Amino acid sequence: MEPYLIIAAILVPSLSAALCYLIRKAAIRNFIVVLTSIAMFAVAGGLVKLLMESGGKLTVDFEHMPLDIGYIIKALDFCLFLYIAYIGFRFRKPLVIILTMFQFVLWFLFEIYGLFGTVHEPVAFVIDYLSLIMVLLISIIGPIITVFAIGYMKEHEHHLHLKISRQPRFFMILFVFLGAMNALVMTNNLSWMYFFWEVTTLCSFLLISHDGNSESVRNGLRALILNSIGGLAFIAAIVVIYTAKGTLSIEEISSAQAFASSTALLPVGLGLLCFAGFTKSAQFPFQSWLLGAMVAPTPVSALLHSSTMVKAGVYLVVRMAPAFSGTLLGKIVAVVGGFTFLAGSALAISQRNAKRVLAYSTIANLGLIICCAGIGSNVALGAAILLIVFHAVSKGLLFLCVGTIEHGIGSRDIEDMQGLMRRMPFTTVITVIGMISMLLPPFGVLVTKWLAIEAAVDSPLVLMLIVLGSAFTVVFWAKWIGIVLTMSYRAKYNIEKLPVTVKGSLAVLLLAVLGCSIGIVPFFNSFVKPQLMQFGILGNSRLGGDSLGLHLEGMNGALMGGFASILFFAIVIVLMITIPAFLRITKPESVKQPYLCGENTAEMKGLEFTSPGDKVEPVVVRNYYLSGFFGENNLTLWTNIVASAIILIMFGAVIG
Amino acid sequence: MINNIIVAIIAIIAAPIIGGILSGIDRKISARLQNRYGPPVLQPFYDFFKLLGKQRITVNQTQMVYVLGHLFFAIASLVMLVLGQDLLMLIFVLAFSGISLIMGAMSVRSPYSKIGAQREIMQMLAYEPVLLLMVVGIYLTTKSFMINSIFKHETPLIYSLPLVFFAFLYVLTIKLRKSPFDFSTSHHGHQELIKGLTTEFSGPQLALIELTHWYDLVLLLGLISLFFANPIWVGILIALGSFFLELIIDNISARVTWKWMLKATWLIGIGAAMTNIIWLYLKA
Amino acid sequence: MGIINKSRIKSPWVIHYDCTSCNGCDIETLACLTPLYDVERFGIINVGNPKHADVLVVTGSVNKRNVRVLMNIYNQMPEPKAVVAVGACACTGGIFKECYNVLGGVDNVLPVDVYVPGCCPRPEAIIDGIVLAMAKMEEKAKDMKNTSDKATELKPGDEKKSAG
Repeated sequence: MEPYLIIAAILVPSLSAALCYLIRKAAIRNFIVVLTSIAMFAVAGGLVKLLMESGGKLTVDFEHMPLDIGYIIKALDFCLFLYIAYIGFRFRKPLVIILTMFQFVLWFLFEIYGLFGTVHEPVAFVIDYLSLIMVLLISIIGPIITVFAIGYMKEHEHHLHLKISRQPRFFMILFVFLGAMNALVMTNNLSWMYFFWEVTTLCSFLLISHDGNSESVRNGLRALILNSIGGLAFIAAIVVIYTAKGTLSIEEISSAQAFASSTALLPVGLGLLCFAGFTKSAQFPFQSWLLGAMVAPTPVSALLHSSTMVKAGVYLVVRMAPAFSGTLLGKIVAVVGGFTFLAGSALAISQRNAKRVLAYSTIANLGLIICCAGIGSNVALGAAILLIVFHAVSKGLLFLCVGTIEHGIGSRDIEDMQGLMRRMPFTTVITVIGMISMLLPPFGVLVTKWLAIEAAVDSPLVLMLIVLGSAFTVVFWAKWIGIVLTMSYRAKYNIEKLPVTVKGSLAVLLLAVLGCSIGIVPFFNSFVKPQLMQFGILGNSRLGGDSLGLHLEGMNGALMGGFASILFFAIVIVLMITIPAFLRITKPESVKQPYLCGENTAEMKGLEFTSPGDKVEPVVVRNYYLSGFFGENNLTLWTNIVASAIILIMFGAVIG
Repeated sequence: MINNIIVAIIAIIAAPIIGGILSGIDRKISARLQNRYGPPVLQPFYDFFKLLGKQRITVNQTQMVYVLGHLFFAIASLVMLVLGQDLLMLIFVLAFSGISLIMGAMSVRSPYSKIGAQREIMQMLAYEPVLLLMVVGIYLTTKSFMINSIFKHETPLIYSLPLVFFAFLYVLTIKLRKSPFDFSTSHHGHQELIKGLTTEFSGPQLALIELTHWYDLVLLLGLISLFFANPIWVGILIALGSFFLELIIDNISARVTWKWMLKATWLIGIGAAMTNIIWLYLKA
Repeated sequence: MGIINKSRIKSPWVIHYDCTSCNGCDIETLACLTPLYDVERFGIINVGNPKHADVLVVTGSVNKRNVRVLMNIYNQMPEPKAVVAVGACACTGGIFKECYNVLGGVDNVLPVDVYVPGCCPRPEAIIDGIVLAMAKMEEKAKDMKNTSDKATELKPGDEKKSAG
């Protein structure tokens, strides 16, 4: 049963990819997309059931298969190198070719030629709770966003005035990507993981440059180059780790005891793996590719660049976290993540482009996840895993919202979103809930931020980074929420006309956001807690979940901190029912214009005032963006320098 | 459980009374410092009830929701304090209360209240890190985030956290919106932004904001008293002393710009708190 | 309602609007805030925001240009509210009464509750006027319950024609 399910998780999307590409009829393609989504939900559900029954770990070996999958992957790997090199050739980017060459040489020497000893293939697939959580994210959020794309891409291509629809290609890449992601998080073989890693890099390039104009190609190539640097680090890490430990099994490498019997080489290998994770998760100084990726159509931004693909990088770091927990490497990784959290949040303050705000916020949150993984205590890893989930759900939703808003008002500028409530009430309400879920208690992202701070207390530098970063976070979200909620009294609401797929996927993701946050305790107890037990990291505190919320307890069982988020939710829900009732009683007796020093004109909304000379002029108020402090021109260079220095320090420390 | 509920209810009822009287005393003492006679001590209550009885006017229909959010989350954080819950989460809930008011002020199309809201965000940016660092300092001393454990700690926190306490006093001025940091919603008589954040709230809405302010006052003084907890009456006395100190500062200082505030708070407030935390860390 | 009515009298918040005054009355009005007179004794606060104010203190005669602003401010004040005309110009139009652009005293435009005569009135008289206006608040609060909102909203053009 298990092998089939795993193969299904990888092959169902791949098959649909082929079908989407071959079948040119839109209606049939849409049907396939919906059908695949349902199939992927089912597969994910099946995996949950199997894992629960097996007691926490599924091991699947393909030794009795008629066909050696290892060879297939090697062959595909080779094709991949060729294709990426071709891209470099076609767009005249020698750097792409050089990076691919280096990767190819290392790969060839290692895998084919066997310069570092014959390679023992480990058990093919090991699924534990962390893999399962990732599979759930990919197979639930992924299809929802793909369904959203049905409606979105139609509109998108309408805006672009395309003669021939490029949707078959688009959906093919999306599904290939989903299959690769599923494989990436389930495999136990580091060199297979490398293959799937490169597939996601390629998909990313293809999707960013999907529109085909010069800007998107340029940004796509930048993503390709930066991720190839990561790929090079990855293959180097494979070689180093294999030399040090003689195994490619992720399970063995990442076990907490790995360091006990390690040579001096293993930390270098782990450092290289973390480096690969940093590039994929767009940590500073590699953030530019993720920002550039925002030129892609919104489903791409939502799926690849916020909720799933960039999670591959943090998945790798979290996966390896037990191996470097408590070591010097771990401490420096925490600083890298913490610095990215701070710098990303600070830069987000100065942004007016909604998608860039989301991009910087994504980078910042990924930084926080990596920071938690670097801290590596029981509580910190719990926070990291929870944040992966909450961030993926909320950010997926927010990107879709911004995409919908962009089609609605024709702008990504936050200042243009004043009075959005009147024009797009449905989207606005969902957007605001999404933003609140990123910022305020009792939603999950804040709970994890709280856990992160409680986990970071033992290292002042990291703590400082997180604390300042979280203060910045408040600033840019609060500003944006304020703009979106600006409204006049009893405005005439538009009835929004949205495609049913768009509306449906927004609603489902909204439910997912609420569900995750409300169900945080059962989710924690049945998925995260067993994973933390498997990590087997001892520390002076541990994370627990009781009926009302999460809490921290010392090893002697004493309560060290806790938050009854469920109780809080209950109170909020009660308030949500009573406040409208209360408002009905205390209905305002009179509506007044906003105060404009007595210079209001006759209209009631306060949009205009009478200026000297009896001219009527519009009232314009803008947010503070503080570009003098936090502008990209001021900060980007310095943050990149500092981040590079931290990474150099990391390598210096592990090598020396 | 029943005990907890009773304590919470007592706190919810007593806090506004104490807070109101304290702000009455505040106004009386301020008047005396300015060589005036000053209003009666119960004046804040007169203002409150008068505002409740005013006509309910509004600019848009959502304003009241934000005001109620502002109030309820302030109450929630007070309840968390008296029940000895997680201090870090308390700070987050308090921030929620502040953000709720900011959203309310930004929801109307009034330049004054919007600029006030932006300034309030800047104030949050200034004080939020210091509050979080205060919590961390307390954790490093008591090895727990629960407020309960502060009472169980043998020595008062002030012995190990003098600089954190200083930083907290510093941001208290911002949080209470006292001069020199009173620019998001100005004092009576200072009108360059009309009333900033609260310009468009009137009548009962303003009354509830005033009520929330009383809750905040009691909560913040409660946080001060934590530094001297055990025995608790010392803490309360010191808290009242700090409040008096704030009044003096309020009366002798002129308003600064928000840029100045941000720089000064980050330098002095965070600097002091961080220094203290680093020495605790090295000592451990 | 007892406590609310009692509070109304004890907490008059004032907005001060200068129509066409020579600034003599304004100086005297602001003098009330000084420690010598200290209006805060009576709970009087100069709030500068009509949405928070109970009493509109007007100085100077009303002219054709500023009547719009004066009415806008009055309309934005929540009920119950009172108007105090301070100084000879505000009461009757004063020496500007015959000017081509002057509409006359404030009572041509708004329902004035208390007239404080003088050119300019002493601060004691102004304080007395505001306290007198507050005494009328209870009555006004009763009216507030009876009249609908539309009736109290004034529009430019509603003003009585100037007697001159």
